[in-house]
Amino acid sequence: MVSKIKKKTLSFQDTIFNLQKYWSKKGCVILQPYDLEVGAGTFHPATTLRSLGPKPWKTAYVQPSRRPTDGRYGDNPNRLQHYYQFQVLIKPSPKEIKKMYLNSLSSIGVNHEEHDIRFVEDDWESPTLGAAGLGWEVWCDGMEVTQFTYFQQMAGVECKPVSVEITYGLERLCMFIQNKKSVFDLIWNDEGITYKDIFHQSEKEFSAYNFEYANTDNLFKIFDMLEEETKLLVEKQISLPAYDQCLKCSHVFNILDARGVISVAQRAEYIARIRELSKSIGKVWIESQS
Amino acid sequence: MSELFVELFSEEIPARLQINARNELKKYIKSFFIDNQIKFNENFKVYSTPNRLVLHVDKIPNEIKLNAEEIKGPNVNAPEKALEGFIRSNDTILEKIFKKNTEKGEFYFFKKESKKIKVSDLLEKNLSEILKKIAWNKSMKWANYDLYWGRPLKSILAIFNKKPLNFDFKHINSSNKTFIDKSLEESMKIFNDFNSYLKFFKQKGILIDQDLRKKLIQTKINEIINKKNLKIEQNDGLIDEIVNIVEKPAVIFCDFDKKFLNIPSEILITTMQNHQKYLPTFDKKNNLTHNFFVVSDIKDTKGFVKLGNERVIEARLSDAEFFWEKNKTQNLVKQVDKLKNINYFKGLGSYFDKIQRMRKLSSLISDDFLISKEKIEIASSICKVDLMSDLVGEFPELQGIVGGHFAKFQGFDKEVCLAVSEQYLPNGMESKLPKKMYSVALSLSDKLDSLVGFFGINLKPTSSKDPYAIRRMATSLVRLIVENEIKTKLKDLIAYTCSVYNDQGYEFDTKKIQNELSNFIIERLKNYLKEKKIRQDIIESSTLFLGLDDLLKSYKKSLCLNKNIKKEIGFETIAVYKRCSNILNSEEKISIDSLGFADPGLFKNDYEKKLYKKINDIRKYFLSAGKDENHEESLKILSSIKNQVNDFFDNVIVNDEDIIIKKNRLELLNMLCKTFDNYFNFSKIDA
Repeated sequence: MVSKIKKKTLSFQDTIFNLQKYWSKKGCVILQPYDLEVGAGTFHPATTLRSLGPKPWKTAYVQPSRRPTDGRYGDNPNRLQHYYQFQVLIKPSPKEIKKMYLNSLSSIGVNHEEHDIRFVEDDWESPTLGAAGLGWEVWCDGMEVTQFTYFQQMAGVECKPVSVEITYGLERLCMFIQNKKSVFDLIWNDEGITYKDIFHQSEKEFSAYNFEYANTDNLFKIFDMLEEETKLLVEKQISLPAYDQCLKCSHVFNILDARGVISVAQRAEYIARIRELSKSIGKVWIESQS
Repeated sequence: MSELFVELFSEEIPARLQINARNELKKYIKSFFIDNQIKFNENFKVYSTPNRLVLHVDKIPNEIKLNAEEIKGPNVNAPEKALEGFIRSNDTILEKIFKKNTEKGEFYFFKKESKKIKVSDLLEKNLSEILKKIAWNKSMKWANYDLYWGRPLKSILAIFNKKPLNFDFKHINSSNKTFIDKSLEESMKIFNDFNSYLKFFKQKGILIDQDLRKKLIQTKINEIINKKNLKIEQNDGLIDEIVNIVEKPAVIFCDFDKKFLNIPSEILITTMQNHQKYLPTFDKKNNLTHNFFVVSDIKDTKGFVKLGNERVIEARLSDAEFFWEKNKTQNLVKQVDKLKNINYFKGLGSYFDKIQRMRKLSSLISDDFLISKEKIEIASSICKVDLMSDLVGEFPELQGIVGGHFAKFQGFDKEVCLAVSEQYLPNGMESKLPKKMYSVALSLSDKLDSLVGFFGINLKPTSSKDPYAIRRMATSLVRLIVENEIKTKLKDLIAYTCSVYNDQGYEFDTKKIQNELSNFIIERLKNYLKEKKIRQDIIESSTLFLGLDDLLKSYKKSLCLNKNIKKEIGFETIAVYKRCSNILNSEEKISIDSLGFADPGLFKNDYEKKLYKKINDIRKYFLSAGKDENHEESLKILSSIKNQVNDFFDNVIVNDEDIIIKKNRLELLNMLCKTFDNYFNFSKIDA
């Protein structure tokens, strides 16, 4: 198979369009990003909650993801506190999922016959979600571009059937496709707008907020309030609003962590608190599914 | 004669799981053939690529004959249920059962007739069970199935004597087909024998045999390094991993910008090896170079793979460089105070608290080691500062080493830098051992502080759980002491560490910790001796009454005895001891009210006197200073009593009619045993 010679570089937004079109054709529900701050596409309830229980489910969506500790004030060419993931979740995991994935790469101009595509062992675990899975990180010529995971456990519950999750790191992938050394040089659209034009200021300001200005006393209080609220909603057996509060807890914790005010010991304790919330929500959700 | 050929095709199985699965499959297949008394080529091999687990056994007969045999069943008086079970398990009927008398009474018997069985039938019946036995270190489920495997299993090809074997393994039916493209899994092909299978894939550049892949990779690398005058580090773990993450290896020679060589080489090497699975190269003087190898799973016809990998390493190294430049100038001493904000462990204070303790402890140790107190205190103070650096955040496996580089850059004393760098060594049995006294002192105080701390807050490992790797810590402590031949009063050091903790407001029970930790460390010493292949009875004896302060002595004596136990001096020493102690053991009553010495005035002959004198000579030898250091010499001295003992037993009857004389002779033998015990507790040694 000879690859078609690409006329122009695929822009960031076209990459998203192509992936959405591709997975739409595969029968996925194309969702929009969840409207809360989350650390990864996995936290979208369309993944966490929908991966639980017996009902089949296919979805794909872009999710802005926030990792306050990874902020570098826009100075580092590879690190961001806010970035995009393209997330696919299919339950039960289809037999041809690898083929589907490799073809999705072709849809954005990465031909697996020309590049060294490697499935490198990378088992995944999310202590806050009480979740674990086995799978790989996918390397393309040595660069990690995707996480590929078979969920084994979510919210402390064994996954039955097993879902497969594919998470593309869009910036990494586009840097690869567009041959850029800095994330800020990525071409966003065909009008020449760059990633820097859109996000540099926000990286700078949010880094300052996350590392310097976030009011930690208030955040500690907010965490407690959100936790209380979550517990109350779990009691009332409404899982989705409860899950929202839990996501907020998680983000507040992440900012506190970035501010460096959580000691190692406290860290484990906070993570355990969030995990307990996730687990209790998972239970309520599963009950609501039957 | 036929061949068995099985291929299990799956999604990419991680290297270490593959290696384990190969061994497991081999083990169970082998025992299948042995248990069923089927001849087979014992030199068979199991192969794997990331997607294929392949078994090939040849020289198997097509049929086996089961000889006739009488099978013994339950006793005739056993409940009826037992007989029913016996009939069922032998797949027979009541009419064919007969009774027969044996020495143990009358039993039911069944005569199994000889018959011929097709090996293919046996295989079809058993293969699924064999596959189920494979114990994965980590396994998973997928889709709706309830099969556990390393990664999703897609197909099973099974051939015996060129014909397909049909069996079900959970939801998968075996066949004579497999996928020939691992990526898209679009085309399948029939194979009827192993050779055509190998040949087919070889033509596609795929090597099923991991050993051939290894050879190919090594040959290609050697070609290049010989030409370029370079070396690579012997790294079996990494090579084995690489071999098992590719099916058609292509070695690509790459490089990065030379400017990155200014970063400490450990950082570059870790990035290449651990993060990217690259092989770094070194020049003839062992300096790291900017060249490295990538082993790709595809021929790089368009140069994309080389380009991509070089870009990845540049990005990673610029990150590392940025952090190195930023961190190296941050004054270590000025940062010490910030350690107050970093928790060492819940219940054991901050890292600042820890280094305060380590400083006091290492300062005390410095008196023993005859090293500069000032220098070791400096090393203790700055040794944990690197934990706050971005570099250690990025490369946690380089903690200490990075600190050593910061210290060197900031002009600290050479020995201080090395001590900081080596503070976590050794880390277990295999790891490198620090030799310089400053390094040993710092590492010792770090480990002691941790051990006492964990025991103090009652986080001792249990038989099944050791989440903080405390055993490894104690083993490392044992290695530090015995391999460096350190004479130190460990028990006092533990007590001192407790008191340092208590100065900080802890309420540690010194006596309790001292006892528990002593026992724990001695257990580790035993384990260590076991690893060193010391005989179990020697280990048990050497540690029977061992005080913690004699760790080194006990180790050296065990080593010495282990070496000599089969030689004349060892053998004879034990023989002498046993001869005497056997008599004493049979006369227990006497030893209870033993005086501990014999009365020379009661001796009746020269043999007693000579033996008495010899015992006293030996005692004098052991009392003279330093004599106890040369263990082989001591053993020789002990064995030299052989003649006097032989003469004694040849000419003296211990069991004299006169009870007083008898008791005196027993006292003499007791003296001998006590003298021997003083060197080593021989009583538990198997002659």
